Amino acid sequence: MQGKNSTSQKNKNFLKNITRSSGFSAFSSALVAIILGLVFGFIVMLFAQPENAIKGFRYVLVGGLGRFGSVLYFATPILMTGLAVGFAFKMGLFNIGASGQYTMGMFFAIYVGFMWDLPPGIHWIVAILAGMVGGMIWGLIPGLFKALLNVNEVITSIMFNYIGMYLVDMWIQGNAVMFVSSKSRTNYLPSNVQIPSLGIDGSNVNFGIILAIIIGIVLYIVLQKTTFGYELKATGHNKYASDYAGMKGKKNIILTMVIAGGLAGLGGAFAILAPSAIAGSSMTYEPINIIAANGFNGIAVALLGNAHPIGIIFSSIFISHIQRGGSLAGLVGFKPEIIDVVIGVIIYFSAFAMIMNAALARFVKQHVTRKDEEVVKAKEAE
Amino acid sequence: MENYIVEMLGITKEFPGIIANDNITLNLKKGEVHALLGENGAGKSTLMSVLFGLYQAEKGEIRKNGQVVKINNPNDANALGIGMVHQHFKLVEIFTVLENIILGVEPNTMGFLQKNEARKKVLELSERYGLSIKPDALIEDISVGMQQRVEILKMLYRDNEILIFDEPTAVLTPQEIKELLKIMRGFASEGKSILFITHKLNEIMEVADRCTVLRKGQHIGTVDVKNTDKEELSRMMVGRDISFSVDKKPAEPKEVVLSVKNVTVASKHHKNNAVRNVTFDVKAGEIVCLAGIDGNGQTEFVSALTGLEKMVDGKVTLCGEDITKASVRERSVAGMSHIPEDRHKHGLVLDYTLQENMVLQRYWQKDFQNKGFIKFDEVRKYAENLIERFDVRSAQGPITMVRSMSGGNQQKAIIAREIDKKHELLVAVQPTRGLDVGAIEYIHKQLVERRDAGKGVLLVSLELEEVMNVSDRILVMYEGEIVGELDPKTTTVQELGLYMSGAKRNTVKEIDNAG
Amino acid sequence: MSTIYYLIQNMLPVAIPLLLVALGGMFSERSGVINIALEGIMLFGAFFGALFVYTVQGVDMNPQVLLILGMLIAAFSGWVYSLLLSFAAVTMKANQTITGVSLNMIIPAAILLFSKMFFNSDGITTTKNFYIREVPILSKIPLLGEMFFQRTYLTVMIGFAILIVSIIIFYKTRFGLRLRACGEHPQAADSVGINVYFMRYAGVSLSGILGGIGGFFYSVGVMDGNVSGHSGVAGFGFLALAVMIFGQWKPGRIFFAALFFAFLRTLAYSVSLIPFLDGLGINQTYYKMLPYVATMVVLAFTSKKSRAPKAEGIPYDKSQR
Repeated sequence: MQGKNSTSQKNKNFLKNITRSSGFSAFSSALVAIILGLVFGFIVMLFAQPENAIKGFRYVLVGGLGRFGSVLYFATPILMTGLAVGFAFKMGLFNIGASGQYTMGMFFAIYVGFMWDLPPGIHWIVAILAGMVGGMIWGLIPGLFKALLNVNEVITSIMFNYIGMYLVDMWIQGNAVMFVSSKSRTNYLPSNVQIPSLGIDGSNVNFGIILAIIIGIVLYIVLQKTTFGYELKATGHNKYASDYAGMKGKKNIILTMVIAGGLAGLGGAFAILAPSAIAGSSMTYEPINIIAANGFNGIAVALLGNAHPIGIIFSSIFISHIQRGGSLAGLVGFKPEIIDVVIGVIIYFSAFAMIMNAALARFVKQHVTRKDEEVVKAKEAE
Repeated sequence: MENYIVEMLGITKEFPGIIANDNITLNLKKGEVHALLGENGAGKSTLMSVLFGLYQAEKGEIRKNGQVVKINNPNDANALGIGMVHQHFKLVEIFTVLENIILGVEPNTMGFLQKNEARKKVLELSERYGLSIKPDALIEDISVGMQQRVEILKMLYRDNEILIFDEPTAVLTPQEIKELLKIMRGFASEGKSILFITHKLNEIMEVADRCTVLRKGQHIGTVDVKNTDKEELSRMMVGRDISFSVDKKPAEPKEVVLSVKNVTVASKHHKNNAVRNVTFDVKAGEIVCLAGIDGNGQTEFVSALTGLEKMVDGKVTLCGEDITKASVRERSVAGMSHIPEDRHKHGLVLDYTLQENMVLQRYWQKDFQNKGFIKFDEVRKYAENLIERFDVRSAQGPITMVRSMSGGNQQKAIIAREIDKKHELLVAVQPTRGLDVGAIEYIHKQLVERRDAGKGVLLVSLELEEVMNVSDRILVMYEGEIVGELDPKTTTVQELGLYMSGAKRNTVKEIDNAG
Repeated sequence: MSTIYYLIQNMLPVAIPLLLVALGGMFSERSGVINIALEGIMLFGAFFGALFVYTVQGVDMNPQVLLILGMLIAAFSGWVYSLLLSFAAVTMKANQTITGVSLNMIIPAAILLFSKMFFNSDGITTTKNFYIREVPILSKIPLLGEMFFQRTYLTVMIGFAILIVSIIIFYKTRFGLRLRACGEHPQAADSVGINVYFMRYAGVSLSGILGGIGGFFYSVGVMDGNVSGHSGVAGFGFLALAVMIFGQWKPGRIFFAALFFAFLRTLAYSVSLIPFLDGLGINQTYYKMLPYVATMVVLAFTSKKSRAPKAEGIPYDKSQR
């Protein structure tokens, strides 16, 4: 009798804990947003080319599965920018400047790659670290503006996206070693600066993704287990309480933005130092005065992953997956931009999916747990 | 059959988790002052919000002059002649007095504002009822008392005949309260009907004709004020006899714990300093109360004392250590505990668990972290210990989200945290605000217990009863200065009121002589 | 002197989009909704305005009439797009910044998608010329005539008219008073029977209309009537936000802030025409960065005492008073 009661109690708690846990609600709200985004994408496809819509949509959904190596390859930079946005978000900062930090990191990495003479074994590592430093500097400035002058970080980081982009484009165009003006893109990096490939057939997936996942896990531990993470989240939840508790708010703002910038900078380094399809070539950058899209995609990744480092690892792979699918949909005449629209729609819905989801969870909890309580009561009556 | 102007019959209003009003009936006669009495959380404001159209009741009906009416929003209420002065003023700070009064019923031609006729009417009303205002001053520049007059004029401007006052005296001095009560009686004698929400028995005895008492959302009864007394009303309000005084031995002050010298703090709102040249000591084993009307520099002073804001000038010493320039953390380590004024804003991280909040001041100490990693097992054990000792109630113990806890238990958690932390001085700012009588008694007991344990206690309070009953020494703050030091055993509420309103002051020299 | 005329003549078509969009942002934020989607709204308006021009440019029509029709189309489409923000921010109580960012992301991609599918290009290229060499009569006014009524666009005159109307609506009407109350203290507005949700929809809608017009005027006055999904409106929506903050959410000051920013930008793109600056031999890119850097400097100096609408960014929830 007692045993039965306690199992039912356990079941009830289990259900309660699941529906109450933030992970559950984040997951289901991300799912709601994704479904709505994909449905929207499908509708657009139907309008554009009704006869190929289903074929194209199937590519979007499952096309990436056959090219998992390439999905991981393109997931690497947006995983990093996603972490950059998500980490700052935990502190209550909206780091919309991941683009600028990413671009700056990329520039620092290729600068070291082209201009420094280093032994083959460590050259690519130094280039990666340089990328991190570049991103850190570009995160530091909005951090200083926010902490010391109380300037809204959203506006600052948007402005620094532009400033960073113009600067990098100018520096690259002005450097004959890096820039191939006839092709208006950067040169191929020497192979010893490229990140070693993992050797998976048919893709150039490289150590970058491994490093990125490790960084995600480390961030998770920092946020969950350390005093710094405790302070960071406390500040994000309630700035006033963190002041009251004697936490150094300004220092933490600056530190968070520097770390976020470093993460995005690493993303830029991972992207540009990656080997590319043609043997001996590497990724290149075209200085055409456009803000890096990977920075904005990082916002989508971070929101879908609920700013949770582990969630971000999965959401970056998902976004990369549908991006690959979108390119494949080109085979039946669709333009890859459709995926950017889908991603935008997903963000739009994820901004209020939490609210729809909270209502849903309340509904489930009320109905499921109430039944359970009745069972318990009935048993007690026995 | 009595002739009622408003009848609220069988009103039931639920919020998720609680029934705020459970089958409540209230009848208002024309030309009476009808008090609505109850503790915090008894459902008074909810009931009035239903009458004013801010909430819709699930059950029950409202009648005006015998006719059933539907009040879906404040416009409906206004059309029925119902107006309300809210406890927290609903005034737009960057608008002028006149703009605030006409907002919602703006005189206009084709949508263009016509302020001149409005100004004439407002000035007329202001003169007739003795409610002096400056029509073109911005709300943020005028005193709280004048802001309240603006709220009253808002009702008069709309020709309301049923006037609801929600806790209007909380922000006033005893003298201003007298004035307000007189104005309320004046309205009643003109035939307007007044609903007066309060939990202060003296005011009811003084002004009200009848009184309806609520407790925990229930209607307890309606009585004629002339046939009852304070004791009966308080029994109805709380459900048991309560003692008005706090049980405590005479204080035995020892060495000085806190010494404040010539502290001056800048204001965020105006150019003058919010706190000017404040000097006093707090000794171990005494409760010193900083009394005053809200907005006379207490908040700024506490911010400076606890290190949240910088001071312009002055010196603060804690246990002989100069902490004038110390950070919040350093002050905490030096022995200062702080129960903040706003527990939601400062005191708690509502989206953290109870155990995480219990170590908010101590998470960095060796007991709870090792090389930057938090020892969650220790945190859990510590929280469980505090929860048991201080009887903090919650649904899931240490892992409860603090947001889901009741106000009283949230406050208990803060008090547990601040008292269990090593301290010599406890700064308690309005620690009983918004709590019910049970929780208030508990907190007063804890403060006295701290004193008897040889700690210094600095209590900042706006509640006159609390000031008179709990403290051993009263300092009155007026416009940023300490204007008097009083002994609660010898002074009266009237005298205290004179100091609080700036009508009376004794200089530091006199205090010295007296001491 | 001719340099000065040149700068002013070139500055105004740049200043007007900034002014209109910043005024739009002001209406939105003073009603309580942060509108970071202005960039996307501009582009949306510009796109449909240009699409309209593209469709009818073959018809023989007075270009200025065409411009006004295009403006109306742009205003309408900007309004429609802004409804997505109002719905999320007001009805669904979503995070306003995130919603705005998503709206900014959707549009460039959608334009590229559309243009690639139907025009096989990155945007829309129109051939109609809206340039006004001289306004009859007015251009003969000494000094002022050459500054304001020669080598200009109709957009400039419309822009000034909208500024004046905005000031009147904002300060002199019942609507303006109520709108400002909602951004400052929505509970107070609600307690006197003002529908806060409606007023916020209205504020955001005005920003949609002005944003759409601003976008179209940008494409007319700055891009020669073209719209590209790649370069979009070059951050003008964001600059307009900075203009609004610099203008302290007040129409008169916003006007001067817009002139200031437009001046910097015009200067940046006319370096080669000004012998003194050209002689310095500074890389042109630095001048291009100038408006963005100036924004930072301006914000650094103003934000300490900046007085944003108190309730902006906070969804209004009737049940939580």
